[in-house]
Amino acid sequence: MLDFTTRQKPTWWPHFSSPLRSTALTARIGSVVGVCFLVCFATGLLSAYQYAPWSWLPIPAGPVWGYRVTQGVHVATGVATIPLLLVKLWSVYPNLFRWPSVRSLKHAAERLSVFVLVSAALVQLVTGFFNTLNWYPWGWDFVPVHHYLGYVVVGSILLHVGIKLPDIRYGLQAKLEDGDVLSEIPWDANPNAHSNAGTLPPPPMPALSRRGVLIAAGLGVGTVVVTSVGQTVTPLEPIGALAVRQAGKGPQRVPVNKTASSANVLEAAGSPTWSLTVTGPQAYTLTLAELEELATAEADLPISCVEGWSASGRWRGIRLLDLVMRAGGDEASTVTVVSLELESPYARSQVVGPQVGAALLATHLNGERLDMDHGYPVRLISPNRPGVLNTKWLSRVEVT
Amino acid sequence: MLAWRIILMTSGTVVGQFGALQLLVGTPVTNLLVLAAWMIGAVLIHDGILAPVVVAVGWAVGRVVPARARRYLQAFLVSGGLVTIVAVPLVARRGTQETAKAILQQNYGAHLTLLLGLLAAGSLLAYAAQVAADQRHARPPAETVEQ
Repeated sequence: MLDFTTRQKPTWWPHFSSPLRSTALTARIGSVVGVCFLVCFATGLLSAYQYAPWSWLPIPAGPVWGYRVTQGVHVATGVATIPLLLVKLWSVYPNLFRWPSVRSLKHAAERLSVFVLVSAALVQLVTGFFNTLNWYPWGWDFVPVHHYLGYVVVGSILLHVGIKLPDIRYGLQAKLEDGDVLSEIPWDANPNAHSNAGTLPPPPMPALSRRGVLIAAGLGVGTVVVTSVGQTVTPLEPIGALAVRQAGKGPQRVPVNKTASSANVLEAAGSPTWSLTVTGPQAYTLTLAELEELATAEADLPISCVEGWSASGRWRGIRLLDLVMRAGGDEASTVTVVSLELESPYARSQVVGPQVGAALLATHLNGERLDMDHGYPVRLISPNRPGVLNTKWLSRVEVT
Repeated sequence: MLAWRIILMTSGTVVGQFGALQLLVGTPVTNLLVLAAWMIGAVLIHDGILAPVVVAVGWAVGRVVPARARRYLQAFLVSGGLVTIVAVPLVARRGTQETAKAILQQNYGAHLTLLLGLLAAGSLLAYAAQVAADQRHARPPAETVEQ
């Protein structure tokens, strides 16, 4: 039987001599990456809940900016984690070439779990970022895969932290300039490792220090964050050099995610004979003229997209509750708004609980008659609600 | 610490397996194969291309660049490289969507160049300050020389 532990490392096997990588450095970057993933996961779960709430725990109507903040944080953190994860992986790259590659069954299992962690984390971050660019160069349905791959990522992180906890504790306690050098030699075989030698200063090297690595990485990640969050943090919009969306460039200064032509509703929504049917105990129909006459309520509400952009607008319209009560319903009713759109998973959406009293059926945005791309002749707009659930081009309101 | 390790490893395994199981039962087989290819491909691209390139550049910088300038070039390469990684997809996707979506309409190539220029300028300034400080320390004060 082969004895893996004593076999000599071949001369051609990669060798890492830089004293820059260390457990202290990795533990610091890793902690930041771990916190970012947890924040992403938590805000991601909140977003998933928005799309499928339990009937006994409806989405609150406030704070108005709730989803704007949680989803803005989700996307901004996710984008920031891309460069952070790359630095983290750089700092442990020699581990990939530890000799022997597999020492035991336990070691093989640990390496497999690291593969799952790295592969799931990379795919999760890249596909999440591509989603914000409306780019889907894969065959799978983005939302459920992004949702459940999140559990795989966070589960692998918890497992990884559990396995590495002694090293993490050592690394966070060691000073950055002290501490063992992370090389491809396993700690138990490395005479300079902390477990054998206590803290050791790294060999002097006329180059970037470990602190310098953290500063340079922080500068890079900071640049990415500051120049991209302008798509949701309005004061930073002018320096949004890498912002994916620019609110100001949308019709009526609010971006849209689906245009009327791509939703194939131009003809039906623009028709002068359009009318809004309200069903319920006392069903009725509103013509375009009747609807516009009733539209006197105003509210400042943000459109907050799952893709991490948001823009506040001044909306004018009819209070949803007024229409519901006229149909014989009340604040406890379940309201379903239905779009003229035919083939879309978001052609209908349900308004329940506190949102029934807070929502508007909007006819005007920022002082103008609603643009066709914003859902003319009338759309739903409700506080603390994902943009895509603020259904556009309405044709029917069902009160039950 | 052992208790924490057990709690973390157990909960991690449960959470991860829940996600994996949901993916397995909820995703068509062909899509699962594509997902597996993406996961393996991501690791291959990172470990096989990106990381070796970074190591090679670091090695070359250590060989070619004079010691005093090295850390400033490295700081620029690290910060600029991270910004570039995020900006490249924006450059690639610019102008692919309808105008009303207000998405991907900026000249990201020019913006990336500007950001890299700012980071390079910062590194150069820090290097210049280092050179000036070294000269102040190396030379005795002027009046001593003139005596």
